[in-house]
This record gives sequence, structure tokens and C-alpha cells, in this order.
Amino acid sequence: MVFAFASCEKAFFEEELSATDPFENFEYLWKECDEKYSYFEVKNIDWNAVKEEYSAKLYEGMSEDSLFNVLGGMLTELRDDHTNLVSNFNISSFGVKYLGQDNFDWRIVVDNYITKDYYSSGPFSHNFLDNGEIGYVRFPAFTGTVDDTNLDFILNRYKDTKGLIIDLRENDGGAVTDVFNILSRLVETETLVYYSRIKNGLAHDDFSEAAPVNVTPYSLRYTKKIAVLIDRGTYSAGSFISLATKALPNVVLIGDTTGGGLGLPNGGQLPNGWTYRFSITQALTLDKSPDYENGVPPDIPMLFDWSDLTKDEILERAIAELQ
Amino acid sequence: MTQTKFILLCFLAFLLIGKTTIVHAQTDNSRSKIEESSLSKKELRKQIPKYYAIALGVNSSKFRDFATSPLFYNGSVRQISLSRLKIGVKREAELGVSYDFGSYFTNFNESTATSEVKRIEINYSQLYRVGLFNSESINTKVGFLLSGNGNLRINSALQNNAAGVDIFANLLGSIKITKDISRKVAKDKKFLFWRYKLNEKKRNLAFRLNVGLVNSSYRNGYVYAGQSSVLNDTKLFDDYEFKIFSGFRASSSLDYTRYLKNKNAVRFSYVWDAYSTGGDLDKFEMAHHILKFTLLFNTNNQ
Repeated sequence: MVFAFASCEKAFFEEELSATDPFENFEYLWKECDEKYSYFEVKNIDWNAVKEEYSAKLYEGMSEDSLFNVLGGMLTELRDDHTNLVSNFNISSFGVKYLGQDNFDWRIVVDNYITKDYYSSGPFSHNFLDNGEIGYVRFPAFTGTVDDTNLDFILNRYKDTKGLIIDLRENDGGAVTDVFNILSRLVETETLVYYSRIKNGLAHDDFSEAAPVNVTPYSLRYTKKIAVLIDRGTYSAGSFISLATKALPNVVLIGDTTGGGLGLPNGGQLPNGWTYRFSITQALTLDKSPDYENGVPPDIPMLFDWSDLTKDEILERAIAELQ
Repeated sequence: MTQTKFILLCFLAFLLIGKTTIVHAQTDNSRSKIEESSLSKKELRKQIPKYYAIALGVNSSKFRDFATSPLFYNGSVRQISLSRLKIGVKREAELGVSYDFGSYFTNFNESTATSEVKRIEINYSQLYRVGLFNSESINTKVGFLLSGNGNLRINSALQNNAAGVDIFANLLGSIKITKDISRKVAKDKKFLFWRYKLNEKKRNLAFRLNVGLVNSSYRNGYVYAGQSSVLNDTKLFDDYEFKIFSGFRASSSLDYTRYLKNKNAVRFSYVWDAYSTGGDLDKFEMAHHILKFTLLFNTNNQ
């Protein structure tokens, strides 16, 4: 009898859904995005029109590569680098950083500004600029390894400078915990820095209430003027910091508009085993606008001039701002 | 000392622990007569055999979490469980905890993903004899099983949804039928020219069926991931929702129990357990097929 019950298991569960059929996988992915993606309205995307366009490219017996290009192409229409399709032979992405020009070259910074004797403290590379009057801190990725030790060392080293430059150009994000560890060193009082809301229903505009995001000051902080350098390659956690700095009076954003990426991504799997992710939250400005998903604008726009490889115009502008 | 030697020593100790008096094959029926004598309730309770049990098992299991994947993940994981049992003729109770751990896989269309799962379950059960279907050798009991279990699943292929935690609480109605298959008198046997004796043996075979009456779950909300990490307020059960009277659960088990002279016992079991959350959105389904070997240590010499 026990074996009879065990064999009835299939009756209790829903049917087997693994499938390589291109139509089934297309429908599954389209529907998942339709019900949970968070930026259709902000980006003015007609998802039904996208379905019509891309479903027309499907046909029985199409190769895995062809199906990947159709599904990946459909996701690219979301114009969001938190949206990817992952197979064992390719990964799709939008490539928001290519919407703007390249604005950063580490070799130019080292050769002409911080010298090769710069310090490396955890994920940070840093040194004095301008005869020791300004501190320069390069933060290339949110590795999740920002801690009190490396931040204390950096803030103590540059405590007597006139200002601090935090270079987030081409920082494409990572662990969001690093965002708050850094911000806690830049605020003087508990500060509301942005709002966030999450999808909670089928309709494209079904969201939770906007939840306030506050940052509490850490004991050792940098209180003088700070310039944060950004560009199109500044993405996700990089954009979160950029968004938060709009609430901090002592911080100025210099460079190009960031890439956005202010929606927390999810993760899932298709019936054919490929995996995907896309954004399911919205970060909102202090006036509760989600528009910075299209990029956090700089307070001082500035682009790199590639005709002179001995100068970093964005860094030069930051130095001038902090004098 | 190798692991094998250690296990053998433990097993030998199990066989020797306890009072090694000769136990006459005492059927459930004869025990029943004792319990029905003029002893006080307290004395009767003292006469109910009590055990601590430790079990090792292999769990052939599968799950599917529609919130992240339409595919089943399959695994053969290990299980260890500890429990306290009171097994009387009229009443039976068990309080137990079990822990499963291992890897589940999906490998479809040359795409492989692995989910590392740790599962803990706490259960409490009480059964009472009913008049139906009882005889000299058959004892039927009905009652309930309270179960709470939680899964921690880590699947890096699911990117920002890599971690999953599910909690289920169920009240199940139970029926257990125990068939006494003891050899009550010794038998002299002969095979060709070889004479041998089959001694008395106390043993039984039990089938138990549990069906969910109240099923509840504490699981992720609409989009699975919560947003607490970007709120600077990280929470374990981020955006979780409690649902009651939702889903189903059923389980059954077949136990063969052999009592030893020292009143300890060994048990071989096959357990099937299946459950699913309810609703239309993002169901979770899981099934277990467990082969278990249990050592029961008698603690009151009954």
C-alpha cells in the first residue's frame, strides 16, 4: 500500500514542464517578465508589441543558437543590464555602457596623477593628488569586501586634505552592502537617501508602498567636500551610491550619466534549463520618481578627451572643484 | 579508528546495552491484559515501553519551486534523525527531529544546475487505539501528526534568487496498523541432516498513513526576492508571506521492527512523504522516498 501511495505522487504534483520547444520557452520567459519586470512604464516599453515582433521569429526545429538569439533579443528590448539570458554557450546582455563614450583609463590616472606607489586597501586603490591637498580613491567594483579596517585607514590618511575624490567610473556594481558601508562615512546625521519599491502584482504598475532608505553615520567620517566620478559604466550599486549622493550636500557628481541599474534583479530558469534574470524593484528619488533608472545625471557634466592621453579631464575638473 | 570500526563498535554496544534478561515473546495482546489490570493510571503509564531512537537514512528526493524554475531537482541525500517514542498497546507518542542534507540536480538539455539543500523537520505525533480492525495480532490506532519543517536551498545558477528558505507547518490525521508477526514459541527444525532451533522472536510490521488536515507555509512573496538589501535593512525572511489552509501533504511509512532480548529494537523503514503549497502562483512541491535504519534504545526496561 505504501508503494501505491508513493506511485500516486505524480497525481499530487503538476505535470512535468521541462521542454526544449521554442514556443513554450518563449511564452514562459515573456510571461515571467510581463508579470514581474519593474520598469516597463518608466522605459515606455510595449511588451505586447515586443512579443508580436519576436514570436514571429520562432519556428519548429530552430537551433538552440537561433532560439537563444530570439529570447536574448527580446530581453535586450528591456534596455537593462540587470537582464540576462544565460545558456551554456552564450549570455545575453544589453550593454548600457556602450551608449556613452569611454571615460576612464586607469593607466592614465596612474601615470599622470597617483603614481605607481599608490596604496591598495581592500578593494580601494588610493593616493594623494595635488601636492597632498586632495585624496583620490579608486573603487572599481562592489566586491562585498569593504570593511571598517580599510575605510578607517583611508579616512585617517586623508583627514587633513581639502577634499576627496571617489572614482566610480566603469564600476559596474556588485554587493549592495558596500553601498551603505561607504555612505555611512559620508553622512553627518541619519539621512534619507532614496526610496525603493517592489513588484507585488501582475499589472505593470503593481508595486509595494515606497519604502524609505536611511543611512546612519559611522563614528569615523569624511566631512569635507567630496567629488564622485561617474560615467555610463557606473552601474547598479554604483548608481545606487550616485543616487544617494543627491541627498548629500557635501558631495558632487562629476562626469557622464550613469548606466542606471536601480532595479534589484531576480533569477530564474526556463523549461529548457537556461537561466535568466531581470529587475523586480524600483529605486526612487527623494521626490519618488523612478526616472533615474535611465541613468543618474552628473551635477557637473564632463567627458574624457581622448586627443590628449596625458590628462584625465574628469579628474582635472574634480580637482578644480575641490580646490 | 576508522569510521567503519567506530560504527561497528556502536552497533555492538547497542546490542549489549540494557538488561540482558531473556524476554519471553510478549505479544501485544498479553501486554494489553497487563495494562487492563487494576493498576493505577500512573503505573500503567510506567509500563509503556519508552525508547530513544537514532536513525540513519538515504532519501531519494525531488523538489520543484515554480517561483524560480519549472524543472524538478532530484537528489539522493542523507538523513539523520533522533526521536523519543512511547509505544503502548493503547497509546503511542513520538517526538522527533530529522536533518537531511545533500545536493539536488537538474540536468536537462545539457544545462546542469545544482541546489544544495539542508532540511530540518520537527514532528510530534500521538496515536490511540480504536476498536476497528483489531484482533489478536492486529492493532489499529488513529491520531495526529504535527510537523514543522524548513528547507534552506542554495542554487547559484539562480543568480540573485540563489538562496531559498521555505517553512511548512502541517497538522496531519494519522492511521497506523500494526501486525504482530512474532514467533511466539520456539520451533525445532530440520534441513536435510541439519537440526536447528528457531527461538521466540518479537517483531512486527506497521503501516502508517498521514493525510494533511491543516497545511500552511511561510514562503517568499510575489517576486520571490525581497528588497531589504537595498533598504539598508537586510532581513532573513524578506517579503515572506504566511499562508494557512493552503496546499496538501501526505505521507506513509512501512516499518519492520525486530525486538532484541535486551528490549532494545532495530527497525527498517520505507517512508514516503509529499507536499505542495497551494494557490495559483509559484507553488512549491517536494517528495521524499526514505530508506531508514533505526536503533531503538529501551529506557524503562518494559
